[in-house]
Amino acid sequence: MKVSMAIQSLRKSLLHRTAYLGNSPSISSFLKFSEFAVSARPRLTVTSNATLKWRTGERKCRWGDFCSSNSAHNKALGSCFYSNGVSASSNHNGSSYLELTDEELMKQCEMGTFKASGPGGQHRNKRESAVRIKHIPTGIIAQAVEDRSQHKNRASALLRLRTLLALKVRNAVNLEAYSPPKELLQILPLKSTVRGSDCGPQIGPHNPKFMLGVQALLDLLSALEGSVSDAAKLLGLSTGALSRLILSDDSLRLAANELRASKGMKPLK
Amino acid sequence: MKPSLRPSFTRPWPCIASNFSTFFFQLPTPLTHARNITQIRHRHIHSSPSPPPPPQLASSPPPLLPLFLRPPEYTTTVSDLLEWHSWAKSLAASIGSSFEDSDNGPDSTLLCRELNWLMEDVLDGSDPSLMHKAVARDDPDTIISLKADVQELYSLWKQRIDERRPFQYIVGCQHWRDLILCVREGVLIPRPETEIIVELVGDVISKDEGLREGLWADLGTGSGAIAIGIAKILGNYGRVIATDLNPVAVQVASFNVERYSLQDKIEVREGSWWEPLKGVEGKVAGLVSNPPYIPSDDISGLQAEVGRHEPRLALDGGAEGMDDLLHLCNGAASMLKPGGFFAFETNGEKQCKFLVDYMQNQLPGSFCNVNTVSDFAGILRFVTGFRNR
Repeated sequence: MKVSMAIQSLRKSLLHRTAYLGNSPSISSFLKFSEFAVSARPRLTVTSNATLKWRTGERKCRWGDFCSSNSAHNKALGSCFYSNGVSASSNHNGSSYLELTDEELMKQCEMGTFKASGPGGQHRNKRESAVRIKHIPTGIIAQAVEDRSQHKNRASALLRLRTLLALKVRNAVNLEAYSPPKELLQILPLKSTVRGSDCGPQIGPHNPKFMLGVQALLDLLSALEGSVSDAAKLLGLSTGALSRLILSDDSLRLAANELRASKGMKPLK
Repeated sequence: MKPSLRPSFTRPWPCIASNFSTFFFQLPTPLTHARNITQIRHRHIHSSPSPPPPPQLASSPPPLLPLFLRPPEYTTTVSDLLEWHSWAKSLAASIGSSFEDSDNGPDSTLLCRELNWLMEDVLDGSDPSLMHKAVARDDPDTIISLKADVQELYSLWKQRIDERRPFQYIVGCQHWRDLILCVREGVLIPRPETEIIVELVGDVISKDEGLREGLWADLGTGSGAIAIGIAKILGNYGRVIATDLNPVAVQVASFNVERYSLQDKIEVREGSWWEPLKGVEGKVAGLVSNPPYIPSDDISGLQAEVGRHEPRLALDGGAEGMDDLLHLCNGAASMLKPGGFFAFETNGEKQCKFLVDYMQNQLPGSFCNVNTVSDFAGILRFVTGFRNR
């Protein structure tokens, strides 16, 4: 009995519950670093605790014709619960997407499952509870396959969508009169000189509000052409302290390094 | 290397289910029941000349308590569990796409995912992390507690692969919406598509307070899935009657209702279609059903998990698959109160369009806003509408 091999195989199946993020389609006006979205191999994956990992494509997923191609479907769903609120794109920027409730955000999304092969319904027992949601205004796609229930996969996909919106959608920052937003101050270490005592304890990666701060930090980095030292000055931190913050979270580190790479800078390590 | 198999066995429900434990124990083999009922039903509704052949029995009696609710009364070493896991995984891998090619059944990838879910259910609450630690430390002698004997796990996985017994019957539950519903042979496993019925009801009651406060009925409730889903979104308002012809389903639905502490809100009644609704004619605010809708001729070609193991009573809708749907449409107008809502699941586009046409032309003036709704795979699946005021 090769216990070690079995352990390896189990470790893989139990510890890595991952789902792929789909390719991002053409609407890239929101995407300053669209190479982040365009899928290269190994593909970008988001694990259940919303950290990003690079992973070779070992699990095959069959995503077929997305249900958006079926106009009757969209019409029917639009009339009941998941309408396609494309109109939101004109007056929304990235940070306000994250302020939407799940229901409001879902209204801007299309949802699909696997391609129908066969008649479905009572005919079928294949546990195809996988969910893929596409955020219409930005074209960002999030998927979840690992849970047994469509309901939970939808919730996971929505959570992943929020992470992706924070990581991918860049907002303009006015550097002339920059003052860090509260969400950003809250994720900074207490030694930051611009952080007031009213910000409370430092928010870490396990807090859902962390992503709001990440988005604001990436906005600032993007406006500063990827310069961590310039950002550190504006945030009242040493360059080392800000680097440590960026490196403390996988998704933030990867997004920051993607951004720096797009500006021709070396990755943080 | 593979330990010998011994039949799975049953043990008492834990205290959570004390009231219902007797139900599950006193029952004879549920499939025998289902067969008798199928005959009765066919006499009553379809007048079908010959009853369908009985579903194939599993070789050993199914464990009656869902794995996830069992007490963790077994212990084993990590290495024994891993040995089973590795055996089960290679058995799943050996299937390749052969099930998929023969009857559109699961492939190895799906079977491996099911194996992970089986692990989730069989490991006791705190033991997954213990397991991870043992794996990380490379310490195969760590003792962990399980909700089933390792021998039983061999037997269960063999049933899954060799007999194509549905995964949900193996673990005794189906994850559906945010619920975990107990299921067993004799009761249809609720499908992901059917979750949409609850969403449709949620949409309707958000616009009409009168419907929210009214009486709802889920006909042919099976595991009680739709009734429980609706009761939860009704919140403090309204109540639900859930009916089923099959006593096994009535008991399973009652068990699920009680598990979600909804016994004051949902009344489970035994009987065929309108029969258990005597006394509430014209008073029902909403009617929902996922009736049998597969044409009889299609039953023999079904995926083995469905055709061999799920109750024909819940699948076979007669020659065109429309017998029960038409029965529901014909009775809905007199059962619903003016403005009352209905939603029925169908086999697909053909049945949906037929029913819309039927209601408009054969039952003129009875209904308004009759509509079809697609499932998430884009197949027209539901017919909805309102009784005219």
